[in-house]
Amino acid sequence: MSELLRAPAEIKYAEELDWLESIDDNPKPFSWRLSPKMVRLFILGSERADGLDREVSQKWFGDRSFVERSIVTLASDRGLLLIGDPGTGKSWLAELLSAAICRNSTLVVQGTAGTTEDHIKYSWNVSMVIAKGQSRESMIPSPIMTAMETGAIGRFEELTRSTSDVQDALISILSEKYVSVPELESGGGDDNIVFAKPGFSIIATANSRDRGVNDLSSALKRRFNFVRIPVVTNKKSEAEIVRFRTEELLRRHAIDLDVPPTLLDVLLQSFADLRASAAAAGSDDEKLESALSTAEQIGVLEDAVLHGNFFGERALTARTLASSLVGSLTRREPEDLAILNKYLHGVVEPRSKEEGGAWPEFLEGGRDAIATLS
Amino acid sequence: MSGSRASGVFTALRTQLQEAATEFASGPDALEGILLGLVDDVDRAVREPLEIFPVCHHSPASALAMARRLREKQPKVVYLELCEDMAPLLTELRNCRLPVAVQAFAGDIDGFPQEWAPLSVVAPITEASAEYQAIAYALDTPGVELVLVDRSSDHVFQWNTTASENEASAEADEAPKSEEAALHGEAVGVEIGDLRPRFAELEEHLLRHGKVRHWSEWWHQYVEVPLGDSDHDTYRQVMFLIGSLFRRLAPGDGDRVRVDEDRERHMWTRMREHMAATGTGPEDCLYVCGAFHAASRVEEFGVDGHSDSFTISPRTATTWQYGLIPSSHAAIEAQFGLAPGSVSIAATQWQKSLKRTGVRPYRLEGQAGARTSRAKKAPPAAAPAVPAPATDRLSGFLRQPPVLDGLDESELLGWSVDIVRAARRNGYLASTADAIAVFETSILLAGMRDRAKPTPYDFQDAAVTCIEKDRVPGRRDVRRLVEIMMGGDRIGQVGYEALPPLARDVYDRLEPLGLKLQQRGVQRALLDVAGRPELEACSDVLWMLRRLMPTAAARPIMGERRLGERSIQESWDLALGTHQRALIELGYEGVSIEQVLEQRLRREAYGPRATTAGVLAAVEDSLLYLRSGRLADELGTHALKVLSAERTVDGAPEVLRRARALLAYYRTSQPELPAWIESFVKAGYAHYCTLLPTAFRDEDATVGQVAAMLGFLFSMESLALSLGCDRTQLELAVAQSHPEDPSKTALLWAAQVQLGTLSRAELRARCDALLDNPLVVPSYPRYLSGFVHALEPVPGLADVVVEAVSNAFGRLPDTVLLPWLPLLITTLRKGAGDLAPLLIREAGRVFPGRLPALDTWVPPWRQPQEDPFAASRSRHMTTAVPAPRGAALLAAHPAACDALAELLGCEDGWQQQGTSALPPSGAGAALLTAYPAACDAVAELLGCDEGWAPTVGTGSPGAALTTTHPAAAEALEALLSRA
Repeated sequence: MSELLRAPAEIKYAEELDWLESIDDNPKPFSWRLSPKMVRLFILGSERADGLDREVSQKWFGDRSFVERSIVTLASDRGLLLIGDPGTGKSWLAELLSAAICRNSTLVVQGTAGTTEDHIKYSWNVSMVIAKGQSRESMIPSPIMTAMETGAIGRFEELTRSTSDVQDALISILSEKYVSVPELESGGGDDNIVFAKPGFSIIATANSRDRGVNDLSSALKRRFNFVRIPVVTNKKSEAEIVRFRTEELLRRHAIDLDVPPTLLDVLLQSFADLRASAAAAGSDDEKLESALSTAEQIGVLEDAVLHGNFFGERALTARTLASSLVGSLTRREPEDLAILNKYLHGVVEPRSKEEGGAWPEFLEGGRDAIATLS
Repeated sequence: MSGSRASGVFTALRTQLQEAATEFASGPDALEGILLGLVDDVDRAVREPLEIFPVCHHSPASALAMARRLREKQPKVVYLELCEDMAPLLTELRNCRLPVAVQAFAGDIDGFPQEWAPLSVVAPITEASAEYQAIAYALDTPGVELVLVDRSSDHVFQWNTTASENEASAEADEAPKSEEAALHGEAVGVEIGDLRPRFAELEEHLLRHGKVRHWSEWWHQYVEVPLGDSDHDTYRQVMFLIGSLFRRLAPGDGDRVRVDEDRERHMWTRMREHMAATGTGPEDCLYVCGAFHAASRVEEFGVDGHSDSFTISPRTATTWQYGLIPSSHAAIEAQFGLAPGSVSIAATQWQKSLKRTGVRPYRLEGQAGARTSRAKKAPPAAAPAVPAPATDRLSGFLRQPPVLDGLDESELLGWSVDIVRAARRNGYLASTADAIAVFETSILLAGMRDRAKPTPYDFQDAAVTCIEKDRVPGRRDVRRLVEIMMGGDRIGQVGYEALPPLARDVYDRLEPLGLKLQQRGVQRALLDVAGRPELEACSDVLWMLRRLMPTAAARPIMGERRLGERSIQESWDLALGTHQRALIELGYEGVSIEQVLEQRLRREAYGPRATTAGVLAAVEDSLLYLRSGRLADELGTHALKVLSAERTVDGAPEVLRRARALLAYYRTSQPELPAWIESFVKAGYAHYCTLLPTAFRDEDATVGQVAAMLGFLFSMESLALSLGCDRTQLELAVAQSHPEDPSKTALLWAAQVQLGTLSRAELRARCDALLDNPLVVPSYPRYLSGFVHALEPVPGLADVVVEAVSNAFGRLPDTVLLPWLPLLITTLRKGAGDLAPLLIREAGRVFPGRLPALDTWVPPWRQPQEDPFAASRSRHMTTAVPAPRGAALLAAHPAACDALAELLGCEDGWQQQGTSALPPSGAGAALLTAYPAACDAVAELLGCDEGWAPTVGTGSPGAALTTTHPAAAEALEALLSRA
């Protein structure tokens, strides 16, 4: 088991990145560690036709043109804004991109209502300022400023959660590519200006459900290229994602437990059904509050696996899966419960009669969970 | 089979492929078979004496190669892979703006399952296609014959027994198409040169390794562009190779392969027949077919193939109609599963290639919608080139590095600027900086995808990346804008001359409107019928179009057409240009819209599932739109038959409504009722009387239907009785009815009130009894429903209904009342036209109009019952003797009396005052005293045995009379004594 609870991508895939770097002979923009094609290969995985000596696994699942457009944006003058519903893999893609390009995916600013301009630019170490006065030493650079200084990729998570004035601090960083520090005197050198090195860019993510909370100004919009990541609806690739992430998760928790393929099917099918019903719903009260994203599915499965491992018979059963599904998707009382109840009786019950398999047990578990909650 | 006959041309390639197969598959096996088979196919097709020209649909490279080859070879006969029965229409193409589709249509089918009707086959034709080049060359060059050799439209369905079902189900899953994409309707598409991997895995593989997103892009990059400038031999061999590859890698979808092979057999058989019949040599011919069919391995392949092993099955008895319908790039893409925008990009590519290569394309003389003036006449045909011996062009082509797209920088720059401009027009905040970013991103994307220069598809991705933000401000997103910029969707139009007679007739008759109806889009027509009576004919046409065509084609904004009503002004939204296909398809049904409408009305009326209401609707339509009394009479007579055969009362409400409307119309517009409607009323009266007892009992008949039956019976009663019906029949029918359902019971009571067998007081008493009985209270609302429905047949019962409803509101417990309220509201809403106004008017009369009055208000039915005649009766009591008021008046105005008497012929003069007051009772007595024998006889006759009463008075006027007229008394006596 690693020392880290969750290793960032550049540590987790360090060896693979080293190897890719060693065989990469394509031209690299700026100070990138890998060429754009290799970045794509790292993220989307290799195929036999690529003629590589070893296999590179696929790490992000989705349309290849999204990845291509993202990489190309980072090689251009503009920042990249990944936008999409929660749980569509935006942050994961951002992490993979920065790990592949500059081997550092930890220069992250988390956008919240409490984020201030200091978090984007710099702040001061007060005691040092008292002791030595304002100087470069007493300045605490933000992750973004660090990225500028090192020519790396800075990440801004949930850009739309921070207030507009804070967002607009990014405008000058993205267009002038420097930050001036007026507190320092311009004595001789460029001490009061921090210039960005080549290779610096920003990947921001925004949640499309937050639209309207803190809308981006058009000046900032102009400086970002938007790449919209849709919810995965293709069942095959969704199964792939869930399997991939769950395996990773089980490895992290060092749990030795099988996820039976039939249960995976049950999970995918139930999410597909719930999405269909949400799409058909007329008002917000008729659909679940959850976005029903792939990440949510992984959450449900993780919950069930952990429950099964620590409290159950060290096996994943349809009953635990159902109760964790009900537990995770119930956010509002009684609307969500009513929808799930309707789903269980309207869809799962006929199906369990027709198809059998794991469905009857799933129905049973779901009913119990709803009875407990209501 | 070709191994033994293989020429030595491709030996080198064969050896190479064999080595490759050995290396990759370690030994001779299937792979080698496939690889060498490919070369064999190419070799065989190249050696065929009848020149095969392989094409791919919507491929500018094919079109270019075709134009070049036609100029060079000047063939005398062109065989084309297109349904053979579509040939006569091709000359009409010149009157149309491309793209249009050739359509074969069959409305009435014979020999196919009825549920397939109507059958429709379309073959869209664009300008940037090889087939158009061949058609234009063949039709405009004297002495050249164009022969269509593919199976007929009829065979498309004959051979496709399973496919049509699959296609139908597949289409159902698709997202709804846009208006442009739906131009072909539900037709089955056929096209020349369908070239696409037949199984998904191969296509996926090609796309993945080609680093492209869809098939059209793959084709563009790997075939279209490299082939753009290649010579004829290379072109042919490469296309043969691709056709063969897809064919050999196709999985064994038995039905599809069978159809393909049958088509190939059909085409070769037809070509051999034609050559034998005309004596043309194979060297003068050119066979244009999809590359897929060029790699055919059927026995019949080739001029020397087997000729007696395939017989073409006869066509079914279905009658096919042919016409041209407008098509569009989007419709073609949607029908054949191409990427959006690909046909438009192909069209742009075609224009560009023409400019670059200087090839002069063929174009039909006088082609409508041509962009430039037609190029000068082709120079005298060059002597047909002597066919050079085939050489191996494939090895070179396969080995050379991918040819890069010749998109130059200035073009890309132009696109970048244009897209920014277009985006700004559509509400995006795009600026010059975006143009720069798009330009840069396109180049970077192309680099990532191993292309030296960006393709239109890369450019599209780049534009979306740089310009599209979190929302689309206008109607179109950036992707769509790029598509429009790249040529956009072109929508074809069928020219006036190429239209069927019906469509031309419609356009001619709508001429007075002064609108350009051929154009697409919605146009507003204003018809001042009163001011310009000649527009009335236009109005008629428009109403018929509204009846026959999709709703959006002709939509009335103002004005309506109902029985007996005429609009003096009308305004219409017309979109005939947009719905040209529907109009053209109408043309397949007849030569004028009147004829089509008449046919349709007849079909509806005489159909196996026709109902009385449906037939009456047809009658109404024939009067409304055709003003044809003859047709209305015919259909009406038929309605009578349908009615007498009907055993259910489902349509009763509709029948009642329509029959009433028709009766009202005939009564107001014609001197006497047509015979059919009289018989209809008579038959209807008897029919519904017969069905009434059953309907009252039948659980399936709703209370509304029974009410409508009663409505028919009561409201047409007077007419029916005058025509000889007997009311007893109705009375008996009502007496026989014993409904179990409370609502129908209420209805029955209402009917009895109407017939007079039940008095209102009794009805009221029954209602009260219901409310008093706690066991019945829960079902009381259902009685009320019955009463509400009873307003239809017995409108006079409105006051009782108001009373019953008010009582229900007042006395029913909430648990019973509330669940029933929605039902009441829906019932009233359904009958909003008739029932609600009645009820509301009555309620308005009964209830107080102002709130304060409510406190003191007592409902009329709670007030102590007053005798309505009490007042007059009491007047009678007080006046002892009724004064002969008339007599007094006459005495006061003698002149008036004289005039009246003269008028009546009384010349007796005035009676003496005083005598008139005497009762005339004494007159008879005087007679009797004068003639005692008569009196005795009368007394004996009456059985009176008493003797004579003493005489009360004399000199009475009666006695005077008998004395004055002794002859009369004598005559009376004689009469009585004889008796």
